[in-house]
Amino acid sequence: CENRCCPVHLLTDRDQTSRAKMFLSAAVRSAVSQTARQVRSLHRSAARAGAGGIFVHRDTPDNNPDTPFEFTAENKKRLEAILSMYPVGHKQSATIPVLDLAQRQHGWLPISAMNKVAEVLEISPMRVYEVATFYTMFQRQPVGKYFIQVCTTTPCMLCNSDSILEAIQNKLGIKVGETTPDKMFTLIEVECLGACVNAPMVQINDNYYEDLTPKDIDNIIDELKAGRVPPPGPRSGRFSCEPAGGLTSLSEPPKGPGFGVRSDL
Amino acid sequence: MLRLPVVSRSFLPAAITKGGAAATNNARTAATATAAASNLLEVFVDGKPVIVEAGTTVLQACEKAGMQIPRFCYHERLSVAGNCRMCLVEIEKVPKPVAACAMPVMKGWNILTNSEKTRKAREGVMEFLLANHPLDCPICDQGGECDLQDQSMQFGSDRSRFTEGKRAVEDKNIGPLIKTIMTRCIQCTRCVRFASEIAGVEDLGTTGRGNDLQIGTYVEKMFMSELSGNIIDICPVGALTSKPYAFTARPWETRKTESIDVLDAVGSNIVVSTRGGEVMRILPRLNEDINEEWISDKTRFAYDGLKRQRLTQPMVKNESGQLIPTTWEDVLTRVAGVLQGVKGNDVAAVVGGLVDAEALISLKDMLNRLNSDNLYTEEVFPMEGAGSDLRSNYLLNTGIVGIEEADMLLLVGTNPRYEAPLFNARIRKSWLHNELQVALVGKEVDLSYTYDYLGESPRILQEIASGTHPFSQVLAKAKHPVVVVGSSCLQRQDGAAIMAALSTITQNVLSGGVEKTWKVFNVLHRVASQVAALDLGYKPGVEAIRKNPPKVLFLLGADAGCITRQELTKDSIIIYQGHHGDVGAPMADIILPGAAYTEKCSTYVNTEGRAQQTRVAVTPPGMAREDWKIIRAISELAGVALPYDTVEEVRDRLYEVSPNLVQYDNVEEANYFKQANELYKAVNQAVLTEPLVPPQLTVKDFYMTDPISRASQTMAKCVKAVTEGAQAVDEPAIC
Amino acid sequence: MAEYANLVRRALGQIGGHGGVRGLLLQFFRVNDLKTGTLIGVDKYGNKYYEDKKHYFFGRHRWVIYTTEMNNKKTVWEVDGSMVPAEWHRWLHCMTDHPPTTHPPEPKKFLAEVHQFNVSGTPQQYVPYSTTRKKIHEWIPPKAGAQ
Repeated sequence: CENRCCPVHLLTDRDQTSRAKMFLSAAVRSAVSQTARQVRSLHRSAARAGAGGIFVHRDTPDNNPDTPFEFTAENKKRLEAILSMYPVGHKQSATIPVLDLAQRQHGWLPISAMNKVAEVLEISPMRVYEVATFYTMFQRQPVGKYFIQVCTTTPCMLCNSDSILEAIQNKLGIKVGETTPDKMFTLIEVECLGACVNAPMVQINDNYYEDLTPKDIDNIIDELKAGRVPPPGPRSGRFSCEPAGGLTSLSEPPKGPGFGVRSDL
Repeated sequence: MLRLPVVSRSFLPAAITKGGAAATNNARTAATATAAASNLLEVFVDGKPVIVEAGTTVLQACEKAGMQIPRFCYHERLSVAGNCRMCLVEIEKVPKPVAACAMPVMKGWNILTNSEKTRKAREGVMEFLLANHPLDCPICDQGGECDLQDQSMQFGSDRSRFTEGKRAVEDKNIGPLIKTIMTRCIQCTRCVRFASEIAGVEDLGTTGRGNDLQIGTYVEKMFMSELSGNIIDICPVGALTSKPYAFTARPWETRKTESIDVLDAVGSNIVVSTRGGEVMRILPRLNEDINEEWISDKTRFAYDGLKRQRLTQPMVKNESGQLIPTTWEDVLTRVAGVLQGVKGNDVAAVVGGLVDAEALISLKDMLNRLNSDNLYTEEVFPMEGAGSDLRSNYLLNTGIVGIEEADMLLLVGTNPRYEAPLFNARIRKSWLHNELQVALVGKEVDLSYTYDYLGESPRILQEIASGTHPFSQVLAKAKHPVVVVGSSCLQRQDGAAIMAALSTITQNVLSGGVEKTWKVFNVLHRVASQVAALDLGYKPGVEAIRKNPPKVLFLLGADAGCITRQELTKDSIIIYQGHHGDVGAPMADIILPGAAYTEKCSTYVNTEGRAQQTRVAVTPPGMAREDWKIIRAISELAGVALPYDTVEEVRDRLYEVSPNLVQYDNVEEANYFKQANELYKAVNQAVLTEPLVPPQLTVKDFYMTDPISRASQTMAKCVKAVTEGAQAVDEPAIC
Repeated sequence: MAEYANLVRRALGQIGGHGGVRGLLLQFFRVNDLKTGTLIGVDKYGNKYYEDKKHYFFGRHRWVIYTTEMNNKKTVWEVDGSMVPAEWHRWLHCMTDHPPTTHPPEPKKFLAEVHQFNVSGTPQQYVPYSTTRKKIHEWIPPKAGAQ
């Protein structure tokens, strides 16, 4: 029955049109939200999109248990120093520093490096895999010499981090998650790196480059390409995380003893 | 009474146990009983007072008050993880709901297990758990016995507010026994904790983080443990299910029969699930004294061997030497005729490893009535010195549960990990929680725990016995030392010398500071029938048959291939009675089909000397019959009728011979070590230089050891997977 | 009196018809029945076919005395209905009144050259294969020669 299907007949004549409009818009809204609900959204956390891809290991030509990995003599000394920090029988506690050592030596963590870490710590390899997959700073896939992490979380995004990202992409000719063919640069997008006050920023290996403009990042990459490491820190000229428009307090030297004290004292 | 601290320890989480080890040790002495009383505190569960020990968790306190708290990650034999949050309960005057499994109770707490807050907390947790759990219960093998299913019915909401897509996780191939559907996983990490704590194989773990966290092995790897099947039981959802059982039956269709496993000498308690006269699967049954709630993979998965290679009808050899099926009338009259024609030493019998006590006594009585006492077991046990006359010589005297009180364990020529996986699990438990020290003489093997390796020569035993070996001092210092010798090294020519050396070691220890009631010497058997056979007076070893070949040889389930036709005279007649066409049947002239352990109600005695009963789960296939009934029928036709017609009467006869055989679930203690040592002094035998090498060294030797497991395809797949990798046996996925 | 005379006459007829007392007893023990009638024919295996429409009512008026050896099988005591070949079967079962002696059957491809017995109940019998999974796989003993 036509009448029953349409709610309009229940309304009074007075506001029939306005109510009808309201119902129509509600129907449209609900239809839109229904379709939106049908879309199967995939959960993609930063960890998955960035650092390591999937959380299982697949043998590849450059990442398999036979990939050569051995700590260098210098790193072996460091290893000793790290292990000596933990009590006897608790070598497992050194998993994170030793994994970091391995990653600094090799650039990233092949499965053989993780096995090696398990071997020196006398724990099951699985315990090392658990740690290495949990922390996003451990790279389980090959990365370039310079690992560029662009922050695109809200504060940086509001300071136009998109332009930085675009500049890098244009400069290097790679997209997010890719490595340049010369294995020099890897670009990923990350969540907040905790330098919001200096937004927008990128992290390249251990260094934070802050207060960037597209031109700045161009220069930084040029420097890196030339084999020099530009000094980290803000590019806007301010020191560290001082206010962007100059100091608003503590702007003069300290007054010294006796300031504001009664003259007769 | 002695076991009390052990029980409490097993209920306590590992972390707490470690800290409280000193307290539990002291609890053994009666003096601390009063001190412990002051350690008690009172809490209330829904207003009902309950007295618990300090350190008890909220969940255990509720359990004590008879209130079951829902849980997924908590398992009483594993360490506490506290990550599923299902056990959240409200506690009066505590602002937030607490995880009952991880929170120790405090004095005067009132735990509210059914308050509005508690119910809301459970409902919320359940909604989160179901946010990513697929709704595939109709095609899930866990359906009907799923914790998540049950608890979501009981505590969950009737709808979810999640409209997002569900997370999907890739399935792992961790071997031919366990099927993984990782999308169903709720990350309780029970399997991870089982693998690292109980099984001692740290192959499973959690990788990734957040929503992408998944359980797996990270690399393509088989979960290679002899206890791997237990992760199917502890998985609260359908993420880990049995591959051989996949899509075959539903739990509510099957009939459950409580029975005993006979594939090793431990005698694990099992439940046999059957449907339509077919064994569908085997599950463990709780028995704190033997297997706790675990069983080995062989016990669990070798059941398909019960359906293959079966002897289903009597057979006789025709003129051309071909075995052809015949009738019971024919075959019984033939056997009776053969037996009537011989007397005394012309007839002998050899019994195998899967024979029950009822059949053993019937066969012995029948042959004794034919004036023959040539009754042998396939397993050898040295008869020089004390031999099998003293029962304590061939038992695991300390008991499986006794290992938990031991502080020093010497393993001799054995690999308990594969010879008796549950015994090994007990050793590992004691090693992990009670600081048990283990030493090994024999081939170096991976036991899933660390041990002092003393060497593989049997001479070391003599050195320890004479006190020249440094280990003898270690042993002398121990409060509760245990020596376990594997039955395999007693098969050697110098078995008696080894026994003599071990007897001296035992005596040295006992004359030291050890309590007089503590038992030191143990034999770990590998087959289920051996203790009952020795109790009944069977002679171990078939050497005498080789020397004096009989005219008629009766093989009762003898499938180890100890004796071949070539070793007998040309015209001798071999009668084989058993349930599988394995090694014994092809060389027989007459075959009598018997019943396997799931098809008869019979008595088995485990290596501790504990008599237990199997129950009839299915009827014997075809024309096969229970073993003692066949022997009873033969005896009547042969004119030496046995005086029993029912199984009760057979058991009365067992009682006459050895009362412990019918005192079910009870260990009759034996303690004649001193006398044994006196007798062993007469042994004048030199130990050989050959190393002590147990027959089962790696996991690939574990799967196929007896006629049933040799007939099993699942076990064959396991061997293949172990040798060639799990991918080699990967079957096409059905869903 | 006449009845008795008739009885004696029939008895003598039976004795004569079966070749003496010995033959009579043999026939009696082989088929538990004694009948005399006209010999219609003998097939190539030696089965004899008789008919007597006068003394027996319809259905019992045709019968066969089986041969003592057929297809190398002793059939003195083990007789079987399937020993009757196809050409005689139709006459014996009254499908026709024309015995194959007077009306030889048309040669057909499916008619066996040598008539075969029914193999039901023997090891040669046909067993339809099962479409369900076997619950128990029995052990098959190795062939004697292979050992």
